[in-house]
Order: sequence, then C-alpha cells, then structure tokens
Amino acid sequence: MKIKNTKTRAMRAVLYVVLAVLALVMLVPFVWMLSASLKLDKDVFIFPIEWIPKNPRWQNYGDIWSKIPLSTFVLNTGKLTIIVTFLQLLTSSFAAYAFAKLDFKGKDLLFLAYIATIAVPWQVYMVPQFMMMRSMGLADTHLAIICLQAFSAFGVFMMKQFYEGIPTELCEAARIDGMTEYQIWYRIMLPLSKPSLSTLTIFTFVNTWNDFLGPLIYLTTESKKTLQLGLRMFISQFGSEYGLIMAASVLSLIPVLVVFLSLQKYFVEGVAASGVKG
Amino acid sequence: MGKTKTIDPAVVQKKLSLLEPRLAELQRQAEAEADPKKKLRLGRQADRMRDKIRQAKTGERFSRQAKRDMVAYSFIAPNFIGFAVFTLGPVIFAFVLAFLKWDGNNAMEFAGLENFALMFGNKRFLASLRNTVIYCLATVPFTLAAALALAVLLNQKIKGRNFFRTVSFFPYVASLVAVAAVWNMLFSPAKSGPVNMILYNLGVGAKSLPKWSADKNWVMFTVVMFSVWKNMGYYMVIYLAGLQGINGELYEACGLDGANTWQRFWYITLPQLRPTTFFVTIILTINCFKVYDIVYMLAGGNTGVLNESAIVLVYHIYEEAFRNWNLGYASACAMVLFLMVLAITLVQFRGEKKYAN
Amino acid sequence: MKKRRLISLMMATVMAGGLVACGGGGNDNEAAATTAAKEGGGEATAAETVAAAEGQTVMKWSIWDKDLTLYYQPLIEEFEKQNPDLKIELVDLGSSDYQTVLATQLTGSGSDFDIVTIKDVPGYTTLVNKGVLEPLDAYISGDGVDLGGYKGLTDQIQVDGKLYELPFRSDFWVLYYNKDVFDAAGVDYPTNDMTFDQYDALARQLTVDTPGQEVYGAHYHTWRSAVQLFGILDGKNNILDGNYDFLKPYYEMALAQQEDGVCQDYATLKTSNLHYSGAFSQGNVAMMNMGTWFLSTLAEKIKTGEYTDCTNWGIAKYPHAEGVEPGSTLATITALSIPANAPHKEDAWKFVKFVCGEEGAEILASTGNIPALMNDDIAGMISAMEGFPEDEASKEALQTANLYLEMPVSNKSSEIEIVLNEAHDNIMTGNSTIDEGIGDMNEKVSAVLAQ
Repeated sequence: MKIKNTKTRAMRAVLYVVLAVLALVMLVPFVWMLSASLKLDKDVFIFPIEWIPKNPRWQNYGDIWSKIPLSTFVLNTGKLTIIVTFLQLLTSSFAAYAFAKLDFKGKDLLFLAYIATIAVPWQVYMVPQFMMMRSMGLADTHLAIICLQAFSAFGVFMMKQFYEGIPTELCEAARIDGMTEYQIWYRIMLPLSKPSLSTLTIFTFVNTWNDFLGPLIYLTTESKKTLQLGLRMFISQFGSEYGLIMAASVLSLIPVLVVFLSLQKYFVEGVAASGVKG
Repeated sequence: MGKTKTIDPAVVQKKLSLLEPRLAELQRQAEAEADPKKKLRLGRQADRMRDKIRQAKTGERFSRQAKRDMVAYSFIAPNFIGFAVFTLGPVIFAFVLAFLKWDGNNAMEFAGLENFALMFGNKRFLASLRNTVIYCLATVPFTLAAALALAVLLNQKIKGRNFFRTVSFFPYVASLVAVAAVWNMLFSPAKSGPVNMILYNLGVGAKSLPKWSADKNWVMFTVVMFSVWKNMGYYMVIYLAGLQGINGELYEACGLDGANTWQRFWYITLPQLRPTTFFVTIILTINCFKVYDIVYMLAGGNTGVLNESAIVLVYHIYEEAFRNWNLGYASACAMVLFLMVLAITLVQFRGEKKYAN
Repeated sequence: MKKRRLISLMMATVMAGGLVACGGGGNDNEAAATTAAKEGGGEATAAETVAAAEGQTVMKWSIWDKDLTLYYQPLIEEFEKQNPDLKIELVDLGSSDYQTVLATQLTGSGSDFDIVTIKDVPGYTTLVNKGVLEPLDAYISGDGVDLGGYKGLTDQIQVDGKLYELPFRSDFWVLYYNKDVFDAAGVDYPTNDMTFDQYDALARQLTVDTPGQEVYGAHYHTWRSAVQLFGILDGKNNILDGNYDFLKPYYEMALAQQEDGVCQDYATLKTSNLHYSGAFSQGNVAMMNMGTWFLSTLAEKIKTGEYTDCTNWGIAKYPHAEGVEPGSTLATITALSIPANAPHKEDAWKFVKFVCGEEGAEILASTGNIPALMNDDIAGMISAMEGFPEDEASKEALQTANLYLEMPVSNKSSEIEIVLNEAHDNIMTGNSTIDEGIGDMNEKVSAVLAQ
C-alpha cells in the first residue's frame, strides 16, 4: 500500500510539472499580447523581445476607445454573436435530433449535403453568395451576417454525434409513455446534452466574435462594423498601430473567456450519465 | 381526422388480397434466413408491409412512415432552409462554375474540362496540393493524439483544473497576429533566436541553423508544429464534452475487476469516445485541408505572398479567385479539394458503420 | 424587398418558437429575440444613411483609412462648396484588403458606387479586365483636360489605348537618412548624385557590427520593390518582358550587404514582421530607401514625440546606375475611376476632374502628400510642410527626372507580380541562388506571357 502511495504521489508530481510547462507554453502569446499592448508601435516587433516595457503606455487602453468608435463595434459584435449563437444552438440541436434518433426518407442524402458543404472552402462560393445576398437586399446589413453564420453544417454534425451517444432506449421508453418527438427533444435530449451544447456555444461564440472575412465583405457602413473590422482600422496603408491592436485584442478576449469559464462547469463527469442506464 | 377517406370495402379487399400474401412471403423468408443482417432487412420490409395493410384497412391518407417523415422534416426544416438558401445554393453554383470560365462580370463561357487541364500544368497548384497533403498527414494524427491526451488529463480531479483547461484553449482564441508573432520570434531565423540559440549550444553549426518559417525545407515543419499547438485546445474541448457522456458505472465495474489506468482507458474510454473521435477526425481532416490563415500569417511576411514551399490549396484558390479573378479555375481547384475530402470522409463513414455493426 | 421581409418573418417565427420551447430559458435568449425583432423592422428605414437635402445628389466614394488620411475632408468640403447640389459620401473599405473588397463590391450589377479609388496597378488591371470601369477618354477630350501635367504617367496606365483611371496622388521612392548616424561616424551626408557603387561604399563605411551596438548602413524593407526595382532605373529594362538577367548585380549587392551585416537579415525581418518605420525609428539605420508616403508619417511621429531616435533626418535622390541622369526613381500612383454602372457618371466625372486637377493637387500638397499633378509651386508647398528637413539638398530631392511605375500596366500584371514576389523572397532568404531565382522568373513569366 505504502509503495503504491509513493508511486501515485510521484506520478502526481510529474503530472503537475508537465501541466505547468504546458500552461507556460500556452500562456506565452498572451503575455506577449499584454506586453505589446503597453508599447509604442515602433517597439512591438523589435527583436529580442522586451517582455516588460520600460515605459508602459497605459494610455493605449484609453486611446482605443477614442481613435475608433470601439463601443459601437463591441455592441454590434455582441448583438450579432448572441443572435447567431442562439439561433445556431436552437436549429442545430433541433435538426440533429432528427438525424440521430429518427428514421426518415432521404436522411443519408441530406446529411451528406451538410457534410459536403463543410468541405468546400468559403473563398470559392463567397462571390456567388455575396451577389445573391445583395440581390435580396441584404448587403451591408447585420441580417446578412446572421444568415451566413447561424445555419452552419458544423453545429448539426456535432450535435448529431453527441446525440448518438445518448441511448436510444431512452427515447423509445418515452415514446411508449406517449411523449411526442418534440417533448422527447425538449425534456430528454436537451437536458442530457449540456456538455455538447456548451461546446457548441463556445465554438459559435468564438467564431462569430472573431469572424473577420464575413463582416469585411458584407459590412461597409461604419456604424454597422464589428470589432474585428475595428481592429484592422489600426492597420493603415503606411503603418500599423500594433500597440493599440494588441490592447483591443486583450480586451476582446475577455467576453470569450467569460463564456468559456462560465460554461466549464458543464464539463464535469457524470452530468450526462446520471440517470441513464447504459 | 380529415385524413380518412370513405372506405370502399371492395377496394380494401382488393388491396389486402395483394398485400397479405406478400407479407406472408416475407415472413417465411425472414425465418429461413441465416444471415442476421439480411434477416433484419427482411424484418423491416415486413414491418413496412404491415403498415401498408393497416393503412388500407383504416383508410388513412398517410402511412405511419410518412407521418414519421413529416415529424423528422419539421425538426430539420428551421436549420435546413437557412442552410440550403445561404450555403448549399451558392456551393452548388460554385460546382457548376468549375466547368465555366468566369471573372464575376463578363458573360460566362463554357470551358468543359479546361480548368482542370490548366490546373495540372500549374506549378503553384501542384506545389499547393503537395504541401496540403503533407500538412494533413502530419497534423491530423498529432493533433488528435494531443487533444485526446489533454482532455483525459484535464478530466481528472486535479487541482487547478479549470485554470489548465482555460489556458489550453488560449492559443485558439488569442489573436492570430499575436500567436504567429510569438511563434515566429521563438523560432526566429537569426542565430540569436531562442530555439536556434539552443540548437547552436547543442553544437549545430551557425551556417546550418534552420531558418524555420523562412526556410523552404523547414517551413512546413514549423507550420505543422504551430498548428498542433494552436488547435489542440479546440479539439480538447470536444473530447471533454465527449468524456462527460461516458457512464461512470462502467469504470466502477471495471475498478472492481482490478483494471489499471491504462486498461481502463483502452477498454472503456476509447471505445466509448468513438462517436466523438469520428467527429473530431472528420472535422480535423476537413479543417486541415482548408488550412490557410495559419500558413499565411507564419510564412507570408509583409507581402503576404506564399512561396511554392509553403503554398496551400486554399491560398491558391484565394489567389486565383481574388487576385486574378479566375473564378472558374478557383472552383475547379476547390472541386479537387472537395473530392479528396469526400473520399477520406466516406472511408471514415464506412469504417464507423462497420464498427457500429 | 419582399424576400427580405419574408426572411425576417421566418426568423421571427423561429425565434418565437424557440422562446416557447425554452419556456424562458434565459435572459440572453429573450434579449436576442427582441434585438432580432428590432432588426427585422428597422432595416428598411436604416438604408439611406446620409441625409440628403432636397434636390441634392449623393455620390458614394470608396476609400480606405478614412480617419488617418488628411485630404479627404478638405477635398470634399471644397468640392461641395463649388457644387452645392452634390454631396459625397465616404465608404471606407479598409486598407489591408481594399482591392479585394472593392472588386467584390463591383462584381455584378448591384453596386452603387459613383467614384472608386484605385490603390495599385495590379488592382487596376484586374478591374479593367473585369470590365467594371468606365473609360475616361470621352470625358477628358470633352472637357479638354491637359494630360501633360502628369509627366507621362497617364501614358503608362493606358490599357489598349484607353484610360480608365486618372491619378491624383503619385508617390515616388527616395533615400531617407539619419543625420545623427552620419555625424557620429563623421561621414558626409549622401548627395543627390550618387551611383550605386558610391551608395554601397557609403553604406559599408557607416556599418558597425559590434554586438549590441549594431549600426546598419542600409535598410531594405521586405517588399520586392526595395531591391529588385533598382534594376529598372536605367530605363533600358522592363519588369514585364520576361527576361530578368539585368537584376543580377543589384541582388549581388544586396546579398553581399546582408552577408556582411550592412543591412538586416531579410529572413529575420520577414518573420518578425518589422515595419520599415519601426526599423528606421530605432536610430541605428543610416539610410533607407522608401516612398514619399513616409514623409508625412515621419514628420508627424517626430512631432508627437513617438520617434525619438531619428529626429534629425534628410532625404536624397535615389542612387543611379553609371551614366544615367540622377532623379530616376520608382513611382506608385493612387487614382480615381468611375464604375461602368455608376448611377451619376457625369457628376462623378466632375469630382474626378476636381480631385485630379490643380485645385485637388494643392489641397493634397498642403497636407504633405505628393499629388500626381506636380510642378515647382506644389513641390515648394510640400517642402514647406512642418517637420520637413530644412536643408536645400532635401528639398531638391523632390525633383524627379524619370518616373517608372513599380508595376507597369499589363493584363497579366497580377500574375507576374506573384512570380516576382516569390523569386525575390527565395533569393533574399537564400532558398535559391541568384541565378536560380532569376532563371525561375524568366521561365515562369514567359509561361504567363505565353498564355
């Protein structure tokens, strides 16, 4: 027993050392962002790196609000992100239920259509898509971005995979109890898929929040632009304000981290397994 | 219910006289069949036949299957309508484009297979194809293994678990400009770069130090390392969610049998994660084939032009579509990419189905 | 319009359905639904953003760097004063992907831009090839505009004998130098009449390679123009004709300098993304060749106190090949065009004529930028700008003899540009030798030209 204990303890120690090294490697870019956000543009890319700036420029964090209409951009991005994430979660988990637990005509074909579009790079159909959106009167509107992002194949695919992990017996039992399919989705599938819903929320949130190409092509009016477009405003033809870009980037990480941290509690063993007899 | 028609007994009788013998035949066949797979199929056919007989007797307009189909479609519709209009439509249009010559403005011309012929005479295309395949072959297994290891590690009850999880997700969410800058500084081509300094002290000659992302022989290696590091946190999150779906009782049962950690992982965790692994592999493969911004940021420099040593397919597509406005040609390249991904995905699908049975 | 309503309606239904299903599952959801509902209703009214007074025509002008470029507002104000019935609306498409976004916007028939700015030559030829720009020749001859003031630039941007853009800004390359570095080394400043050999010798003379206190005699930014285009300044060679053997001596010079620590290593500069302004402002670069667009940035940043190590600077004419008149240099132009489907072509032409003409040129010069229409008065206005070096030699450096476009016009411009960039990168990083790189250019450009 004692030998085993020392062995486990040694293993633990090794584990923590590995984790600490890993964490350090993962944090390096963030530390660099922080350090760059306190510098003048001319010093940002100077090599070797000066990790702690001699004269930290805290006013970078003030300048970003006055040099560009950052608060408008944050509001726009926040609005888009929330709507897209909500729609994505709702429609994806809805559709995924049918793909995972119902038998119907054309199931494989429809699913293949979903997967197939994931494999096509956006750059290829961006132009036809843009022309179509414009003919619908959606150019330069937030609705365009919502339509573009909210119905992704990725979400359906992911949710389907997770639903397949939930035992079919549960659904069948519910059907015998007289529940409709909609009730099964709402009462059984949704509560059991919290970890995967959290995952999809995080991914959709991050993707929409950080999306650059979509807004770049579709949004031209300044009052409608998003955060990522705003960051590019610091990159001008003849120079870039990297200190300011990094200051804004650091701030723009905060909502993402908040979402990640607050949804993390669902990644705890046993949430899905409880009450399910495998 | 408005769905019932008036029942004409003669017609019902006629239908039944046709359907019932067929059902009997199916049932006999099913009983005689030895192969369980075929037996299952025959059983299903018999079910459908019974459904038809029931429908004939009650005179309902829709069969049970049709009703079930309708419910299923109602689940899919909200997503599918949006998806079909905004994504599927343009994608199909892009496929048609592969056989056309079009710059977005002037009239389209039918080009037949000319775009494909051009492609295989284009050095940049061939280089991009080669690089993309190399990149995928190297990145997919490493990312998969790293993400799984990380997820299993961070699913245990250890101190600071939330912190480590968040930190692992960091490289994925942090701005690409920042992560690429840091990476390029660590792997600076100068002798004074941190990694090169170590190599130098280990005895690598100053002249033969790699120039990493500026070196035609090392650039793909650098990109692969970078992308494993940047993306493993992302796939870790998917695996974490998958791990939560594993029934804890399975482990308990196993614990009683005296299985060690490795055996638990090998006999329970891994098989239970199969749907997740299937998903991760497909998404990861597709994303690897679509890689673009990472390479561009690491190896593009100020001009943002990628060399033949670093060019990847989607960059080539981008360059042809938006620098030269050869939309037809770009679509043809995308078609090649698509077919490759499709082939790999189908192989994976088949493997998954086989395993499931 | 109808389709859009339908979609909004659809979305609203989906949303409402979601709300019922979730039974008030969270505040976020409700907030989202209300915002979306507002979105659906508010879209139609938000379409016309610029409040046009009665009878005024609003014209859209596509630009980049709206807040950083000083001449947009004065140009518009003056123009609107002269034409009270016309109003200009700026649409900022962002700097880094400007040409891509513009080309996408102009694709098809739905765009409503009246005036578009053209950022570079490959972008220009792309748009001309796509057939989305209006030829300006009829307007020019109709109004009797004299193209002589553009010093031959307008001849270089003709496509099949037609002119689709009119330049309003023309930057050219000069040699920036840090006087403090020269003073510290006790070396005379560069003159306006230097051969490449003299330039090379001067750069080497100023170089200090003590680790930790390096001084670089020269600095080349990673753009191909910075080294490659030394080769075309003798006027005998062209960057488009498929034979690049003439570039060899210039690459030899640059690589030797790199080898000897006279200039910074290209590979390091490339991977670290160091901007030329960052390099020059460190105060350890003696000479740097760069475009005149850097003039106003440099003056401005010194004034605000951001640059402290290069406050004492000057400019000189580009070095020249043996036996060639000094003052031959590279030019890059910024121009205005009218899209083929612009809603108000006649009025748009009025604006183009104004900006590219003498009044526009004076406004540009007063903000420290070099207009395409250049004469002695205008050059005087620039050198009188606050922060411009006060010595006579620097003022004289603004006089040019021959201007060669960084990328001449050809319908293959953008494809050739890719080949040239790639070869430049391979040579400078040492991934291929000079001969291999030049061989590559010869082979690939010939292939492009043969298509």
